[in-house]
Parts: sequence; C-alpha cells; structure tokens
Amino acid sequence: MNTLTIAWIALSLFMGFVIYLLPKVDRYLALSVAVVSLGYALQIFGEQSPLTLQLLDNFGVTLVVDQLSGYFILTNALVTAAVIIYCWQDKTAFFYMQTIILHGSLNAVFICADFMSLYVALEVIGIAAFLLIAYPRTERSIWVALRYLFVSNTAMLFYLVGAILVYKANHSFAFAGLSEAPTEAVALIVLGLLTKGGVFISGLWLPLTHSESETPVSALLSGIVVKAGVFPLLRCSLLVDDVYAIARIFGVAAALFGVFYAILEKDTKRTLALSTLSQLGWILASPEAGGLYALAHGTAKSTLFLIAGNLPSRNFQQLQQHKAINPVLWIALTIAGLSISGFPLFVGFGAKILTLSYLPTAYATAMNIGAVGTAIVYAKFIFLPRGGQEKTRFGLSLAAILTISALLLANIAYYQAYTVANIAKVLAIIATGWVAYLLVLRRAELKLPRVLEQFEHLIGGMSLMLILLFWMVFA
Amino acid sequence: MKIISMDVMSTGVIAYYVLIASRDGLFTPILANTQKGAYADPVPQAVILTAIVIGFSIQALMLVGVMKLAQDNPTLESNEIEKNNMP
Repeated sequence: MNTLTIAWIALSLFMGFVIYLLPKVDRYLALSVAVVSLGYALQIFGEQSPLTLQLLDNFGVTLVVDQLSGYFILTNALVTAAVIIYCWQDKTAFFYMQTIILHGSLNAVFICADFMSLYVALEVIGIAAFLLIAYPRTERSIWVALRYLFVSNTAMLFYLVGAILVYKANHSFAFAGLSEAPTEAVALIVLGLLTKGGVFISGLWLPLTHSESETPVSALLSGIVVKAGVFPLLRCSLLVDDVYAIARIFGVAAALFGVFYAILEKDTKRTLALSTLSQLGWILASPEAGGLYALAHGTAKSTLFLIAGNLPSRNFQQLQQHKAINPVLWIALTIAGLSISGFPLFVGFGAKILTLSYLPTAYATAMNIGAVGTAIVYAKFIFLPRGGQEKTRFGLSLAAILTISALLLANIAYYQAYTVANIAKVLAIIATGWVAYLLVLRRAELKLPRVLEQFEHLIGGMSLMLILLFWMVFA
Repeated sequence: MKIISMDVMSTGVIAYYVLIASRDGLFTPILANTQKGAYADPVPQAVILTAIVIGFSIQALMLVGVMKLAQDNPTLESNEIEKNNMP
C-alpha cells in the first residue's frame, strides 16, 4: 500500500508532462489517470486503519490516508473524468496537461498531513488553476485569473507566517502541532485556508472567478478545487478543538450568507457559484460528515455547471420567457438540483442528514433554514420551461451519466439515513422552499450591490477577517 | 504596482523565516572538525527556499498576464480594468 500510494501520487504529475510530450494520445492518458485515482479511492474504503507515511526523517513529508481523504479523492476523480469526457474533442494538449497536474496536486492536498507539503500543493493548484482560467486568453479571462492568483497568493503568505509559528513551537510542521502553537498561528493559518477555500466573506472572490471561467473550468473549480482549502481545515478541526469551534461558526455563517445571495441572483452561473459558497459552509459545519457532503456537492455541482454552460441563455428571465430548454438537459439539471437540495434517492439526502446529526440544536435550526434556501435556489432551475429542440453535446450526456450514476451509487455510504422521519423532514423542507419560490420569490426584483467583490475590497476584507479571527481565537 | 507590493510582502515573510532560523545561532550548519558556536536552524531556510521559488514563478506568471492586459490598457489602472470586466 505504501509503494502504491507513492506511485499513484507521482503518476498524475508525471503523466501531466508526458501528455504534453505525446499530444496525440493526450485525452486517453488524462482519462486513464482519473480512472486510476478512482480505483485508488475505492481501495481506500476497503482498508480498515488509516495509513500513515513518514518520508525522509523527522522534518520530511508526512502523509495520512483515511476515509476522509478517500471521499475527497473519489470526488476529484469523478469530477476530473467528467470534465475530460465533456471536452473530449475541442481542447489542446495544454488544457489536458493542466487538468491532470491540477488533479495530481489536489490528490497531494488530500493525503498530506504537514503544513509545508500542503503549502507547496496549494501553490501548484493556484498556478494550474490560473492557467486554466486564462486559457481562452481574452482580456476578461486574464483579469479574472490574475485576480484569483493575487488573492490566493496573498492568503498563502499569511498562511506561511502561521506555518513558521507552528514550527517554532514544535520543531515540526505536522498538523498535530497546531494545538501547541500560539494562537496567532491558528488565526493566520485558518485565514489562509478560508480564503483559499472560499468560505464566507473571504470567499467573495469566488462568484466572479467561477462564473466568468469557461464551462469545464468552472465545473473543475467549483467541483473540487475550492475543496482543497476546505479539506485541511477539516483535518485540523478534527485534531484541534479551537479550529473545530471556528470551523462550525464559519460553516453556518457561510451557508446562510451564500444562500441569501444565491436566491436573489439573476444569472445562472453566478447563482451556481454563490450556491457553492453556501455548500462549502455545509461541508465545514460538521467536519465528521464533511467527506460525504463534499462528494455529494462536488459531483452534483460539476454536473450543474456543465449543463448551465449549454443552456441557451445565462439570464433566468430570458430562459423563462423566450427560450425553452431541451427536455433531456432539463432532466439532468433536475436530478443534480434535487440531489443538492437533499431529495431522497440521491446522495445529497444522506449527506445532509449526516451533517445535521452532528450539529447541536441551535446550529441545526440555522442549517435547516439554509436547506430551505437551497431548495429555493434550485427551484429556480427546476421550474424552467422545457421543450427546446437544440442539440446537446454527446460529451455532455456521457459526463452527466457518469456523475448522476455516482450520485445514485454513493447512497450506500450512509443508507441508515432512510427513515420515515428523515424523509418526511427533508420533503417538508423542499416543499417549503418550492412554495416560497413559486409564490413570492419568482417575482422578486432586488439587486444586491457587488461592492464587496471589488478587487481592493477583497484584500481589505481579508485583513478584516484576520482581525476577527484573532478575536475569536483569543476569546 | 500591486504586484510589486505583493513581492514586498513575500520578502517580508522570507525575512521572518530567516529571523526564526537564526534565533538559536548564526553559524551556517555545515559539519566541520571545529565547533564554531551555535548553529542556525537549517529547516526554515530549506523550507523558505521552496517558497521563494514558488513566489518567483508566480511573480513571473502574473507579469506575463499584465503584459497581455497592457496592450489594451496602457495605463494599467486596476480600477479601470475592473470596471470594464465586471459583468
């Protein structure tokens, strides 16, 4: 298993370069890497005890592979495979190379257990994501990519200062040392990861970046890349109580904040991006259930992004009045939307119930309100008129079949959720959301200002969040 | 301008790492026959070397992006660029 892990992690990075050398077989190589990861992730679920690897002495790299990493690696493999299938024909070798390098560095994040290897992996992700966003080379895409790289690099500088403080206290960079580190270190590292993961205020860079990228790139970004920031937070919060409390508060706050913005949004891709903001809150709110929720959200959200890129318009009003959508697209859209809203039959249901079961009552109430909001957001998609005739891409149907079957199959992870009380509760939540949408919110005309999303305010917001975190940690 | 300020920030972080490394001693930690005095801690130095390389490559990447943007916005005022590119 040890050798297998090292070979697997090296494979995807190695393949990234091979793809560029052998452009003829690029897509086959890329897809095979995703399939290998899928096999590896399934293998992890078969293992009983977590695997810990310590490479190169005390100061070297530590890796931990357990069920939590398994869920994230599985999500990564599914999303990457879906994206590669989706753009089977129309991309160059460069695109596949970046996708696979991104895939490899994400895998590295999901198994590493010390702050330094995490830093390196996160920076590689930043660079690969930058190149993917800037791939069309239009002025807007370059600006969005620059903005992304700047924000993530600044956040990582804060993180680096935190990492050295951990080292100073423990003479090691391992995650476990965070409990002995000074409180500043906790605040700085958490800020870096919150920004990278796009949670709450510090995640406001996310809507523009995710909505203005190309369709397959937004599916990658929303499906898995943001989870690279959330995963280490989950790991740390399971080890350190301070972080656990912070993660829960931020999770609930982000879930409500994101959903509020998403309800009032009029643009399909931005709605999806804002909903990612709220779903990340759900993942963070109860770290024990985070893995399953990440799987549920990642597969469903990447499907939604791929479909939204193929709708005739990006504006909800136009979609409702002039342009009916193809029934086949509508079915896939509805399935993914229902899964995120937590409808029984799909993995979103089990994930939601598991998340709620770990929360104390006050938080659970807030999250239930969030769940109603999520149902409203996806009602916007589900109640679109259908009947359009335009052709769909073949790659899209294959990709959607892959992710949707994953949504169905993953139910076995938590089949205990299927009790009458749970089903009734979830159905009540969804019904409330839909009724609220049909009666009131469909006609709502409220436009929220986007001041906070401006570049300079993003950096300023980051500093304010740092101060807030200092207070929270000291209290 | 913003990119340069980011570079200044990363230099600050690097300097902090070097400071932490030299807390216990100043001599280069190389094995020799004669003991010279307290050695500096080699680990932060090794680690920050990685961060310097990464920071440098990101800098280069961003400057290439800015060069592309400069073709249409010769003044490179980020407010103006942002106004044109917000949907």
